[in-house]
Amino acid sequence: MLEMLPTWLIDWLGPDGMANLAYLTNGKHLAWYASVRYTLIAAVCGAGLAVIFGLLGAGAKLSKFAPLRWLGDIYTTMVRGVPDVLFLLFFPLAFEQGIEYIMAKMYCSPDAVAAAGGVACKEAQWFLTTTEYLVMACFSLGIVYGAFAANVIYGALKAVPKGQLEAAQAFGFNEREVFWRFQVRQMWVYALPGLSNVWLLLLKATSLLSLLQITDIVAWADRLGAPNYLPMAGLVHPDWRWKYYLVLFIFYILLTFISERFFGFLQARASRGMARAN
Amino acid sequence: MAAVLDVQNIHKRFGSLEVLHGISLQAEAGDVISLIGSSGSGKSTFLRCINLLEMPDEGEIQLAGEMIKLKTNHKGRRTAVDPKQVQHLRSRVGMVFQQFNLWAHLNILENVMEAPVRVQGVDKAEARELALDYLNKVGIAHKADTYPAFLSGGQQQRVAIARALAMRPDAILFDEPTSALDPELVGEVLNVMRKLAEEGMTMLVVTHEMGFARDVSNKVIFLHQGLIEEQGPPSEVFSQPKSERLKQFLSNTSIK
Repeated sequence: MLEMLPTWLIDWLGPDGMANLAYLTNGKHLAWYASVRYTLIAAVCGAGLAVIFGLLGAGAKLSKFAPLRWLGDIYTTMVRGVPDVLFLLFFPLAFEQGIEYIMAKMYCSPDAVAAAGGVACKEAQWFLTTTEYLVMACFSLGIVYGAFAANVIYGALKAVPKGQLEAAQAFGFNEREVFWRFQVRQMWVYALPGLSNVWLLLLKATSLLSLLQITDIVAWADRLGAPNYLPMAGLVHPDWRWKYYLVLFIFYILLTFISERFFGFLQARASRGMARAN
Repeated sequence: MAAVLDVQNIHKRFGSLEVLHGISLQAEAGDVISLIGSSGSGKSTFLRCINLLEMPDEGEIQLAGEMIKLKTNHKGRRTAVDPKQVQHLRSRVGMVFQQFNLWAHLNILENVMEAPVRVQGVDKAEARELALDYLNKVGIAHKADTYPAFLSGGQQQRVAIARALAMRPDAILFDEPTSALDPELVGEVLNVMRKLAEEGMTMLVVTHEMGFARDVSNKVIFLHQGLIEEQGPPSEVFSQPKSERLKQFLSNTSIK
């Protein structure tokens, strides 16, 4: 493969450079680079779900119906208090076992359960692959950071000038239209600074994916950096983990930088015309 | 002539405080009625009761002969029987607020088009033309692409009037339309309102501008502590006030 590079580049890199390049593009390293997709998918889907849960939570907190209000308060208070590591471990396992329990009730005879040692019989067992774990990781992140987002959005919804909502009412818009077309539309200006914080926290939490047996960038960095000893070649390299972790450092800093630019763009868009002239 | 707006015996309480003790008012097409009185007399609250931004605790509202149906719910609060009917009422009664309340995320043209398109289902191109017409009428069509935050208070209030006009309402309620304006901007808004009155628009105006009340309206209502203390044509109310309180109120107010 590397022989296909232009000759000037091969000359410029020299034999050592080529050897390093070959090492950095071997199968395991390529798998490492490819595993970035898990991080990005978890971040983007998690954030999307967090905004949805945030809107629902904030809507519940503002509801006229008291039980819904309580539900919103319970959600934002409880979930924000639980460490995200714990939630990431708890939620997928609880969900998996819950499903297995229901399946066992439906498909396993009592004898089969007893034979399996009190757990689900074979038919009811659910084996999770990376895909399922990734989906559950997205939901876990969405639920945890949705609670933070709910608080941010709740505050932002209340910051929208009341007079403008009253004007919408006075012109014959119904309650739902007033909420979505005016209150939610204007809320973003107040919510975006807070939501960008939540996003960065969520981005950092994607480094926990390996807890769910997803071989993500952190897991790969761990493996690739560990002292590499081959029986035939001897010690290939000593403990290089710090080098690999440094790459992750830079990766996350880069993501943060891009995020800041992106939120700057969103903020400018959302506040179009809303800036005070005086 | 049938009344455009017939409001009977409005009572409003906030907690244990009763701010309106039964106020009635009829407006016929083309009437310009000024509601005057010192602050706390209930005139703004009364105006807000007419399009149910405040829900009156007692009383009846009829718009063009159609009675708005209200009921008392199980908690003893008054609510509309049919929210759609209330929305319909509101879409036919324009409102201009003291603080303008233009929608900050929409530009001037969009502000005027929003309700006709979304509430009345007017075709977008038609609404646009209509909106530009009304913006022209209030003398601000050249700012159609500007956002409200970049306009002066007087300009914003004129846009707010165009926004109300674009609904082609049966009547317009003005809630102290010039009170939040710098003195030198009051004139431009009053001029627009004067023009509307001349064209026969039915208007209810809560105002502190006694000159406007005297010159433009054909009826003046003086409110005191939630009751109508005195009413009549401006010539009578201003030159021969009967009640002591109105005399006192007028002596404290300069008429320009």
